[in-house]
Amino acid sequence: MNFMSSLEKRSKFLVFTVEECSSCGLKTKRAFQSGDYVYKEGGECTKCKGKTRINMIYSEKAE
Amino acid sequence: MIVRRMVLFELLQMLKLQGLLGQDSLIGLLLFWIPFIIFIFYGQRIQMWVSLSDVSRSLNKLKLMKEKSRKEAIDFIATFGKSKENLTEKIDQFLEYFTLLPVDLDPAGIVKKIEHVINVRDERVRAEIKRFVSSATDTQASNIENILEVATALNYYYKVVRHYYLLSKKTNSYFWVVQLQMVLPTVLQEAEALMGAIDAFKQSQPIGDGIGAMVVGKMMNEKEKKTVAKDTVMSESEYKGRVLYLIKAEGPGGNVGQPGNALTLLIEEMGIKIDAIIMIDAALKLEGEKTGEIAEGVGAIIGGIGVDRFKIEEVASKHNIPLYAIAVKQSIIDAISVMKKEIAETMDKVMGIINRIIEEKTKEGDKVVVIGVGNTVGVSQ
Repeated sequence: MNFMSSLEKRSKFLVFTVEECSSCGLKTKRAFQSGDYVYKEGGECTKCKGKTRINMIYSEKAE
Repeated sequence: MIVRRMVLFELLQMLKLQGLLGQDSLIGLLLFWIPFIIFIFYGQRIQMWVSLSDVSRSLNKLKLMKEKSRKEAIDFIATFGKSKENLTEKIDQFLEYFTLLPVDLDPAGIVKKIEHVINVRDERVRAEIKRFVSSATDTQASNIENILEVATALNYYYKVVRHYYLLSKKTNSYFWVVQLQMVLPTVLQEAEALMGAIDAFKQSQPIGDGIGAMVVGKMMNEKEKKTVAKDTVMSESEYKGRVLYLIKAEGPGGNVGQPGNALTLLIEEMGIKIDAIIMIDAALKLEGEKTGEIAEGVGAIIGGIGVDRFKIEEVASKHNIPLYAIAVKQSIIDAISVMKKEIAETMDKVMGIINRIIEEKTKEGDKVVVIGVGNTVGVSQ
């Protein structure tokens, strides 16, 4: 049991998605959502209303 | 601790003064000679018992991981609408599948035979998955395949370690136990890495191994893609007067593609004269190295059983094409878990290195192939 909980502790990484606007270059970081994949078309840019694309998906240690 | 030592010291001093310890005392003799004789006759057995306990603890860890991965596979496939009772027996059967590689008594031509066996296995696995879940898309089927491979690998590790553990106990062989004890830290490390991969495949998140595919995928943005081999796509691009042929496995499903076949098609069948090949892949780091360090080298940087590497090396050496390699260093756990930030952030640096190699090693008008090696789970193009 101790071993499995130590494995689960190690898995306490949060996964983030970074979207980049192809027009103004604005990068937005948000929590990963099911269905996200790298180079998928994202939503509208909050700054210039241009098209965004998912540039990166990565994990970071939870604070 | 210090208090206990002082009390023990005081006791020994008292016993010595009373003549109960020292060279001629009976207690002193017994305290020294009895353990000495026991260790002479039974020392190895005691050591074996200690080693077997250590191996048994590791075996329990492997068992837990095997059970968890099996449960995760069943639960994941059950989300596609299948009942768990029907699935459990089929998945348990799947976990016992084996692949017999060709005999290597006469190694000439063995790569073709290995390729044939691997292709038959892949087709069989895909057919089985379609039987489990006929409604799954190609991406979902790839992810199911990857999860089942993880569960199969963990099942195999557990069974092999258990086999040698039981054999050691049966034969009372200390040397079997010691050898097993020596390899177990590495085995456990790999098993833990595989456990980390399950979450990534379930959520279709990119893994560290996919960095090569991610870099080339970015270069392929807005370009036309065509399928050149099984699960492998290619695009044409341009950089400072050079023509670039970009090859990667097709994502966002968890595929590794066939870059060897893709390169062979490009050079042998399409007859394109290539001046340089650049390959990008993840590489295992040594202890002490930082995750995300980038190293350059020469040669075909690609893992796997060796079929693709053989084909790339063969076609490159036949046509005298230089092979340049770029490695992004990471641990085995990083490579098959969700991609870490340090690895993802190497993308721009790697692209800079690719551009530098192209500028330094080729001239305008040359044709360069750039191959992004790796599992493309969560990475499109």
